[in-house]
Amino acid sequence: MADLGAACLWMALALATYSFAASVAGQLRGSPTLVDSGRKASYVLVVVLLVSTLSLVQSFITRDFSLAYVAAHSNLAMDNIYTWVAFYAGNEGSLLYIAFALSVMAALAIWLAPASTRPTLPWTVATLMLIEVFFLAVMGFMANPFQKLPFPVPDGQGINPLLTHFGMFFHPPALMAGLVGISIPFAFALGGLIGGRAGDEWIDAGRAWGVGIWALLASGLLLGSWWAYTILGWGGFWFWDPVENAAFMPWIALTAFVHSIMVQKRRGMFRMWNIVLINVAFGFALYGMFMNRGGPVPSVHSFGASTLGWVFLLFLAFGVIVPLAIFFWRYDLMRSAQRLDSMLSREAAFLINNLLLLGIAFATLWGTVYPLLSRLFAEQEITVARPFYDQVNGPLMLALVLLMGVGPLLPWRRANLHSLRRALLLPGTAALATVAVLLAVGIRQPYAVVGFALCALVTASILAEWTRGTLARRRSVGDNFAVGFVRLMMANRPRYGGYVVHLAVVMVALGVVGQSFYGVQRDVVLFPGEDASVGDYRVVYVDTTALAFADRTEYRATVEVYRDGEFLDVIQPQRTFHPDHNMASTRAAIRSTPVEDFYVVPSENREDGAVGFRILVNPLVWWMWVAGPVMILGTVIALWPSRAPARRPVVAAAAMPSAAD
Amino acid sequence: MVHIKLTAAPVRRGVFLIVVTLGMLAVLASGDVVRAQSDGEAGTYDEVEAQAIDRMLMCPVCPAQTIDQTEVPLAKQMRAQVRELLAGGATRREVLAWFSAPERYGPGVLAEPPRSGLNLIAWVVPGVIVAAALAGGLLTLRAMRRPTGDGDSVSEAPDDLQPYLAAVDRDLALDTDTERNDG
Repeated sequence: MADLGAACLWMALALATYSFAASVAGQLRGSPTLVDSGRKASYVLVVVLLVSTLSLVQSFITRDFSLAYVAAHSNLAMDNIYTWVAFYAGNEGSLLYIAFALSVMAALAIWLAPASTRPTLPWTVATLMLIEVFFLAVMGFMANPFQKLPFPVPDGQGINPLLTHFGMFFHPPALMAGLVGISIPFAFALGGLIGGRAGDEWIDAGRAWGVGIWALLASGLLLGSWWAYTILGWGGFWFWDPVENAAFMPWIALTAFVHSIMVQKRRGMFRMWNIVLINVAFGFALYGMFMNRGGPVPSVHSFGASTLGWVFLLFLAFGVIVPLAIFFWRYDLMRSAQRLDSMLSREAAFLINNLLLLGIAFATLWGTVYPLLSRLFAEQEITVARPFYDQVNGPLMLALVLLMGVGPLLPWRRANLHSLRRALLLPGTAALATVAVLLAVGIRQPYAVVGFALCALVTASILAEWTRGTLARRRSVGDNFAVGFVRLMMANRPRYGGYVVHLAVVMVALGVVGQSFYGVQRDVVLFPGEDASVGDYRVVYVDTTALAFADRTEYRATVEVYRDGEFLDVIQPQRTFHPDHNMASTRAAIRSTPVEDFYVVPSENREDGAVGFRILVNPLVWWMWVAGPVMILGTVIALWPSRAPARRPVVAAAAMPSAAD
Repeated sequence: MVHIKLTAAPVRRGVFLIVVTLGMLAVLASGDVVRAQSDGEAGTYDEVEAQAIDRMLMCPVCPAQTIDQTEVPLAKQMRAQVRELLAGGATRREVLAWFSAPERYGPGVLAEPPRSGLNLIAWVVPGVIVAAALAGGLLTLRAMRRPTGDGDSVSEAPDDLQPYLAAVDRDLALDTDTERNDG
């Protein structure tokens, strides 16, 4: 079975190479047959890679320890359910997963490509297949998951214990598929550019895939944060680790892209800018894959550290320089059709949003490269970590939230100050009222106050528009509130789906601000029977039970939780020792409510019977995890296909009729 | 500014909002002063301050983690050291200087670049980039503006809310055939 998988891998490399070559040659020679065969080869690729993937799964399930990869990432004691995780626990399997995921997305994208992209589709196919060739070649020649051991071992080394967590079932696949998935909108843009049609032809496909991939990456990031929160045992969810940043930057660039593409869709502006943005996002995605697959910076998240770094670095250089060259070659094609009417317009707001987002992405990149520069030029070891990013990106993010509240109130083309003031009255009042309430209850931390006030501003401006629209429907069409609201949402999906996503962002912001500024932490060492107080909570440590398994020993602490003297719950945080890996993993016990999380994790089991606990009260973190499903809902609404033809330029949606038209 | 009615002229309402905002900022600022003054006496230490310092020191033997994030013995020692120094009356700055002294862990132990000398570059560059990008972007937008027309000063009807509401209604796609898929 493993031999079949290995053979399929080589066949896949041949198919992808053929598809690339046939698409290019067919297009250059004007041969539709050749082009057609190239496209079909990309569909066959999915089947071949599926066989290869299933074959590796099969090897894991039968624990075929003659394969080096299976022996390195599983053992007999491992639950079969972790086969899914073990599959991508190292570089070889991750690459196979990435290649397979890309082939599926590429085939779908090619198959569903809108008519406007057909003339340049071969270039898009060629782009995607060239990326596919890279991954397949790296696998074939450098990191083959079907590599045999010289002689089979009786048992494998087992899976990294940090990976045996529910979040790991979705977080790595979502991020890996998301990162490589940026190739799809990128390939549509580049294909259009090479084929000389880089106007508006590619943007429907670009937007749909951009938004979908955006949601995939966002889910991956959220799930990763959740994983870190429950298993890393220090009580936070994000600390600007190099690998976190590597996944964060492409997502931020893609966020800019999915906003800016709307301006082109509605107003025919920002043509060149959108192509720049998708190239930047693609460059960051390549950088992210480079960091994940053997980057130069140590990280708690690098599970696949390896010598593959330089190949990925070369590919990164190639993937940035070649599109840049094509971009300048086709520079003249990208002139925008429309001109700007006013600086006070939604177009301008979108541009500021883009620049702030890119500012965050580049500040983050700067933080990553600064230590390298300092080592090279000043010969000084400097670290850039959490406090730097918090201070630099924090204000930029607050500015973005502000824009999220104000931007949607601005009409296309031209706003006038007076109507803007009226539109801002309610949200502004909500924001000021929030500040007043916060000050009254003693919340004084300036960042937190501003953060919460901006959250109120955004929420109020969204709810106000929905209410106004629902009422208007009720007045004019006679819908009741529920029907009116649903019809309102359905009538303007890209916009109101976006609003739902904005609400999810507000939820995440609540969690981040709450935990950053009002999280309370206490580290205590308790003997059985002793207690400790944190905030309104009191914990009594009862005892610890040790459970021995073949590959690990679990120490389950039993802890009683009281609040204001009243008994609440018995919780069982865990600390597990894995002798094979000589490491411990923790599983925090978290009592989560919308107001705050009460979080207990054993940090140390001492020989004298005492246990070290880290106890935290983290306000509002609950909202972060609820934001995930809300965000996905918003994305689905935004992408739900409409019956009418998709593109319809704005004629006069401006607040004021303008003199020019 | 006492006799304010909500129906007052926009100017007066603007002044009112500014006063309220300034007042709130003043409260915020005073709160900060109170916070800053509550710092410790000799012999005891402020655990909140100690935790803040923990988050500013890297664990030298861990991958990209600060000492509050890990349970390796060195991180525990460093945390104890932070508390000892604070109890001895050291300020945050002095504690950080102690750890980052060349004979101990060097500046690399600090989780952020020092705000002095050459390392100011690390702090200045992001601000410069963002400011330049915003300025450049807005200038480009200005250049993209329609040459015709009278700029921002659009003449307004006295009751200018009506066109806006009409635009909202249109924006909200009551007329779903013409305005589907607004973004």
